[in-house]
Amino acid sequence: MDTGSIFVPLWISFKLAAATTVMLLALGAFLAYLLAYRKVPARPVVESLINLPIALPPTVLGFYLLILMGPKGAFGKAWEGLFNSTLLFTFTCIVIASVFYSLPFAVQPLKAAFLKIDRRILENAYVLGLSPVKAFFRVIVPNSAVGFAAAAILVFLHTMGEFGVILMVGGSVPGETRVASIAIYEAVESLRYRDAWVLSVVLALVSFSFLLVVNALNRGEGNGING
Amino acid sequence: MIRVGVVLGLIFICALPAGASDEKVLAGVAANFMMPFQEMAAAFEKESGIHVESVFTSTGKLYAQIRNGAPYDIFLAADEERPELLFRDGLSGKPFVYAMGEVVLWSADRDFCARFADWEEAVRSNEVKRLAIANPESAPYGAAAVSALKASGLFDSLQAKYVFPQDIGQTFQYASTGAVQAGFCALSSAVTDQGKEGCYYTITQAPKVTQAACVLTRTNNREAAEKFAAFLLTPAGIRIKEKYGYR
Repeated sequence: MDTGSIFVPLWISFKLAAATTVMLLALGAFLAYLLAYRKVPARPVVESLINLPIALPPTVLGFYLLILMGPKGAFGKAWEGLFNSTLLFTFTCIVIASVFYSLPFAVQPLKAAFLKIDRRILENAYVLGLSPVKAFFRVIVPNSAVGFAAAAILVFLHTMGEFGVILMVGGSVPGETRVASIAIYEAVESLRYRDAWVLSVVLALVSFSFLLVVNALNRGEGNGING
Repeated sequence: MIRVGVVLGLIFICALPAGASDEKVLAGVAANFMMPFQEMAAAFEKESGIHVESVFTSTGKLYAQIRNGAPYDIFLAADEERPELLFRDGLSGKPFVYAMGEVVLWSADRDFCARFADWEEAVRSNEVKRLAIANPESAPYGAAAVSALKASGLFDSLQAKYVFPQDIGQTFQYASTGAVQAGFCALSSAVTDQGKEGCYYTITQAPKVTQAACVLTRTNNREAAEKFAAFLLTPAGIRIKEKYGYR
């Protein structure tokens, strides 16, 4: 099989992690805002659903997504109708899967950061006539920079290390869905230990350096991912 | 008090016997051979009283596990090459061929095979957007499919359609859930009850898959493992494998 350079999977993992991080910062901030400041109907149910990916085996999540995003699944069918192309086994498909998989890692630190903001600052903003949307961008976002940084790093790392879900819905398409963790798995089972070593060392170094940054953030601000 | 209870409980769990009988064989079995194997293991257990447990995955993965000391007693591969390599390095007894298999193009859609003249026309058609091939590096059935595609001169032009599941089991799963429109599956999957709900094309260009087995050197149950190896080639064993499309 022509997979090109053994570094292609690393690039795919990086692209996937970056795309997922961008999407989850937006989606996560929205959900965290609702959870922190708004009345959410059936709150325990919603919070449990958001946190479910932490508890579920990735294969279970992957299996549901495989069925849902397949050509016969509701989501896959709708996608095909809209874009005239199949969804499963594409890069977009693994981004969607990763967004579900890492959702709690974005929502939790953001919610914690939002709850820490002094209510009085927000109330002042409202009194001064800022709309909730403006208040969100001018008051909440700047005051929860550490929360955003923690969410971004956690989501990025969690996605770099993702395996089970992508094993189910990725299909190991070279240059598209064969991410580093899958490439390592395949290298080991094909006894290409050298490739496995190289990829593993790079992954380990990247993760370690990012965690060092998280640590520094935590120390610097005295608050952080665990609030 | 609670802590003592927990510790005692753990000790009790650890002390539980692993199985009812002492005589037990652990087999590493190529994923394509799962269906006949389960039936063979049951028949063998009835006849000999020896329990056979099994792990089903790609030949490449089993091979790598064995190289790293996995505690299998017997290895049923989907090729001849890997058992031969184990034998050469003193990790197994002499390999023997236990089955000849065939790769087919299978679709979950029963009418699929009525629409095209042959498998080549089928894989080329726009209707097949995704085509599953078990990772050819580790799955011999995937390798057989790739050599058929190359022999027909189709391999390069269809690159955009390929999806590479980890083994022949996942390939069949992708095809049966409709995640791909067709997949290169083992004939043995196509003739099961679930397989018959779809349809398949035979692939004349694909080399037959010669599957060899070997008893591993490090086994602690040599006698039982050899008994089971012998059973694979008895008329009873052969009848079961033929039922699933093997020769």
